[in-house]
Amino acid sequence: MADPTSISCEHLTFSYPGAAELALSDVSLKIPPGQYVGVVGPNGGGKSTLVRLLNGLLTADSGRVQVAGLDPATEPFEVRRLVGVLFQNPDNGLVAPFVEDDVAFGLENLGVERAEMRERVREAIASVGLAGYERREPHTLSGGEKQRVALAGLLAVRPEVLLLDEPTAMLDAAGREEVLSRVRDLAGSRTVLHVTHHLQELFDADRVLVLNGGRLAADTTPLELFSDAELLRENRLVLPTVPKLAADLGLPFCRTPEELAAAVARRSRDGVQAR
Amino acid sequence: MTFARGVGQFYPVESPLHALDPRAKVVATALFVVGLFFVDSAAGFLAAGAVTAALVAASRVPLGAFLGLLRPVLFIVALTFVFQVLFLREGPTLLAWGFIEVHEEGLRLGLVLAARILILVTAAGLLTATTAPVALADGMEDLLSPLKRLRFPAHEVAMMMTIALRFIPTLGEEAEKISRAQAARGADFEGGGLLKRARALVPLLIPLTVGAFRRADELAEAMESRGYRGGVGRVRYRELRFRARDAAALLLTALAVGVAALL
Amino acid sequence: MRIELQGVRHVYAPGTSFAVEALKGVSLSVEPGEVLGVIGGTGSGKSTLVQHLNLLLVPTAGRVLVDGKDALSLDRSELRRRVGLVFQSPEQALFAPTVEEDVAFAPQRLGLGEEEVRERVGETLELLGAGHLAARSPFALSGGEKRRVAIAGVLAMGPEVLVLDEPTAGLDPHARSDLIYLVGRLKASGMTVVFVSHDLDEVAEVADGVCVLEGGEVRSIGHPAEVFYGDPSMAPATVRVAAALGVSRPSLGTPVRYGETLAALRRVLGAAP
Repeated sequence: MADPTSISCEHLTFSYPGAAELALSDVSLKIPPGQYVGVVGPNGGGKSTLVRLLNGLLTADSGRVQVAGLDPATEPFEVRRLVGVLFQNPDNGLVAPFVEDDVAFGLENLGVERAEMRERVREAIASVGLAGYERREPHTLSGGEKQRVALAGLLAVRPEVLLLDEPTAMLDAAGREEVLSRVRDLAGSRTVLHVTHHLQELFDADRVLVLNGGRLAADTTPLELFSDAELLRENRLVLPTVPKLAADLGLPFCRTPEELAAAVARRSRDGVQAR
Repeated sequence: MTFARGVGQFYPVESPLHALDPRAKVVATALFVVGLFFVDSAAGFLAAGAVTAALVAASRVPLGAFLGLLRPVLFIVALTFVFQVLFLREGPTLLAWGFIEVHEEGLRLGLVLAARILILVTAAGLLTATTAPVALADGMEDLLSPLKRLRFPAHEVAMMMTIALRFIPTLGEEAEKISRAQAARGADFEGGGLLKRARALVPLLIPLTVGAFRRADELAEAMESRGYRGGVGRVRYRELRFRARDAAALLLTALAVGVAALL
Repeated sequence: MRIELQGVRHVYAPGTSFAVEALKGVSLSVEPGEVLGVIGGTGSGKSTLVQHLNLLLVPTAGRVLVDGKDALSLDRSELRRRVGLVFQSPEQALFAPTVEEDVAFAPQRLGLGEEEVRERVGETLELLGAGHLAARSPFALSGGEKRRVAIAGVLAMGPEVLVLDEPTAGLDPHARSDLIYLVGRLKASGMTVVFVSHDLDEVAEVADGVCVLEGGEVRSIGHPAEVFYGDPSMAPATVRVAAALGVSRPSLGTPVRYGETLAALRRVLGAAP
């Protein structure tokens, strides 16, 4: 049975043992296959909890979760075959002392036949631009490279859904761009849920979820979120420099410095002509 | 950067020794080490030493890697040697100077023990330098798997080995980083007596332990989310194939050890 | 206190096959009371560079001068007290049961009296807006709080120069702007700060002087406006907007910080009607 919904949550509620407050409270949402969805919000807002409920690392107190038609709480291994998670710290996600062995780890667990495993490992390593790194040891790689190895390990399993849990938080600008450009390549062919603190990473997202205090505070588009000063402030979200300048100048959303410069030039020329 | 390549680590070059099945190498090394305890003649040690030297040459691992391995052992070798020479007073006296007496048997046993330790460490170094850590872990798992029937967790032990090998450099870097950070706050890890030194380590050991637990947590999460559930239904990426040359290598080792022991 | 590096080279593991030349002759000076922004990505040598400022690393060649004197001739532990070095992710080195005890570690090492230690810890935590955390366990704090406490642990030595290596890495945007604000406060209190970061926007907000490091060499150094407008490909977003708007608008000037840029752009827009 083909389910048109990739991820669905109904009245999802969860609290950590011993915690006074709910980590997630009555969250409902549906994500169709192939959608690129950003998840933002302050720390402790419930972003990471949502990721962990979606692949069965945590089990909801109440409500329903379905990922690709399966319930992660009852069928975690089936769900993990279809869902890959990229975590924040690549240093602690790599298991094996060599790149190729690490990329193979997920396939080993699934019991994929060895000849196919070789082929898929090779492909996955090449697809993140690391061909030739097969025998490198993780501790000799840069942060961006490590995170790409981790991504290759997920892609080798060919998941339908990718959950990215702040994958760039520990990286420098170059590493961040390395990882993001791979993510942009993948968006469209897979459902991507991308948790981040950096709004500039979500310029290309189809949709943005705002989680605050365990509640779904907004379910909107990037453009609408970026132009809603109230919503941004309430959820402690900070605009990147260029859109922030544009907003402070009363100009519409701008993405790049060039766009903003052009908008300013146009507006000032309009003014000149009007006079 | 200072942890570029530690002593006794895998040395990724191509050689006949690298190409051998890890199981053959583990068994051969074990045979060699056990056999060494039966060697007690000069000719035997010469033979064992010559075989080891030939293997070192065949491994294409730079000699420096082995010298680095032997350096920390030299102290133990020297201590053992001196101890035997000075305190074993059997056989004819070779030298007497004040209260120091050197007897033939003492000198002989000192030399035997020294040779044994040096050859043993080199042989162990050969194994780790020519076998990729993952292959070594896989080989160990296979060799230990008959014990699975006795509920011995062969897969888990191998996985622990793999993870340990993966994280040793990372934790080493972290230890260095933390000790530098504490040094920048005035910590002194060197001066003072034993107790003072032990106490000075607290600001290093606590963060290191806290960090290791955090890493373990995150690693477990990542492994689980990648579908890990123990050895059940797992297919290993690396295929171990026991070929004719592995059998030959084992046989030759057994022969060499036997000859050396008989000499 | 003025620190000057003259042609500093640093080679790790010299004479072995693993030798790496991390610094290839770096000259720069840290002027008293200024915030020097050091910009560089992975492999630029910036982390090696900062460790030369208090001689945790000794140059393979070249000299480090402190107020004109060769730093090698000075007392090493006194130098490390005067130049406080905060490494990347400094919270990894927190170890004591309470924030107070952790921050007290450095002043205790200096042999200060109990009363003085307590006073200094209180003042430092207050300066960093972390006074309310004193009795908490450092392990139970948020990322931004841990970072501030770790910085307090170095500040409590009473350094004249504070070196921050990637102080905002891994923090969320709010904790980031808190930290940037903090650097401003430290400067106002008379502290000299070396602020090392790969984030151009961040450096632009705090720095009085900028040094761009690349592949172990100084690529450019000077006043932020000179450095950034000289090479807009290596400039913060504010400068890139202003540079793209063209030099034909004299009223724009060469703004670098966010506030300056916003005001300049407003002038351009406002000049029209």
